[in-house]
Amino acid sequence: MEWVRFIAAVICLAFAAIMEIIAIYGVYRFRFVMNRMHAAAIGDTLALLLGALGLVILKGLSWFSLKMILVVILLWMTSSISSHVIMRMELCIDEESIDLERIDM
Amino acid sequence: MKKRSDYRSTFYSRIENFVNGREEFLLYKPKGDLEAKQLESLEAELTEAADLLEKREARQRLQDMTEPLDFLKKFHRHYGKIAAIICVMLLILLLVAVSWLPPFGHPDNPAENEVIKRYIEKGEEETGAVNIVTGLILNYRGFDTMGETHVLFIAASCVMILLLIAEGEEKKSSYAFDRYLEPKNDIIVQKVANFLVPVVFVFGIYVILNGHLSPGGGFSGGAIIGAGLILYVSAFGFKKTGRFFNEHVYKVAKVSALCFYVSCLSYYFYMGAHGLDNHIPLGTPGNIISSGLILFINIFVGTEVACTMYAFYALFRKGGL
Repeated sequence: MEWVRFIAAVICLAFAAIMEIIAIYGVYRFRFVMNRMHAAAIGDTLALLLGALGLVILKGLSWFSLKMILVVILLWMTSSISSHVIMRMELCIDEESIDLERIDM
Repeated sequence: MKKRSDYRSTFYSRIENFVNGREEFLLYKPKGDLEAKQLESLEAELTEAADLLEKREARQRLQDMTEPLDFLKKFHRHYGKIAAIICVMLLILLLVAVSWLPPFGHPDNPAENEVIKRYIEKGEEETGAVNIVTGLILNYRGFDTMGETHVLFIAASCVMILLLIAEGEEKKSSYAFDRYLEPKNDIIVQKVANFLVPVVFVFGIYVILNGHLSPGGGFSGGAIIGAGLILYVSAFGFKKTGRFFNEHVYKVAKVSALCFYVSCLSYYFYMGAHGLDNHIPLGTPGNIISSGLILFINIFVGTEVACTMYAFYALFRKGGL
């Protein structure tokens, strides 16, 4: 049982690390604000959730894991809101971002 | 407003120019496509020639100005070599200095002295703080921390001197165009701020009050509260924030916090310099109300830092609080 839990936690943490690497790569690879935001959101949501989940599985249910879940909830709220604000700002001040179809590599 | 490059040659642009009095519409009426194009190319050539002339004149003027400084030319010619030589010399100097440093982690190093032992062994007993770091920076090294807080105060004052718009027309326009480009009253941000700002404030107060018990303290807690204030401002605007945090509150809070902080520390300095005993009870380590003056110093430092962070944001955004 202990081994199963350990392996599940390691898989979660490994996926979180992979997602984070993809997010960082995307942030530096793309040139346009919204593409970069999309890449960064992968790290902010999926990688965060998987990392916290892995730690919770590793630790078992306790006050520590409840705190981790609270951190995930708060960060999901704030990161999506900050993305929303950045997007509206971008739409307000950048004339070229009206063409939403473009993908600048 | 940016215009597309091919807009200029259209019929409507000529009408617009005529309405604005920039050209005679009737005289400019094209007899054929060819003529209009010729005219355009002629115009472009003319502007190009004028640009070239201007550039040449400017270059001539620059040459006239810089000609007396002939040594500058020589300097620029040898700039690369001189820079390389200076860099190499600096590198050699630094490497020599590093080679003279004592080895890392050696027990005979000058950094490994009785001070660290004293901090670790007697810190809790003497300061009453469970968190050794807080006891260290607010009690043993209080003078250093006082300087840091003064640096914060001076930095905020300098930003005020540079950016504060006192009154008059400029103030009105800066207040009116404060959210000119920003989307106003974003309901999503407001709903989330409604929920988050109290949580952020409570967390900041917790970090400040627990400074002597757990990691944290005045600086980090004050930064958290300042971030909460900034979130509130960006969601609801300066009008609503001004009801509980305006220029008057800022002045009173900041100056009084600094004064109380300095008076707390001068008590320590006076007692320490004259070899007197500390008469403030330290309490039992681990309680919230313990460790003497450290709790109050944490509160004052937190107020100072929160005010400074918020003031920076407000001053850079609209030039006033």
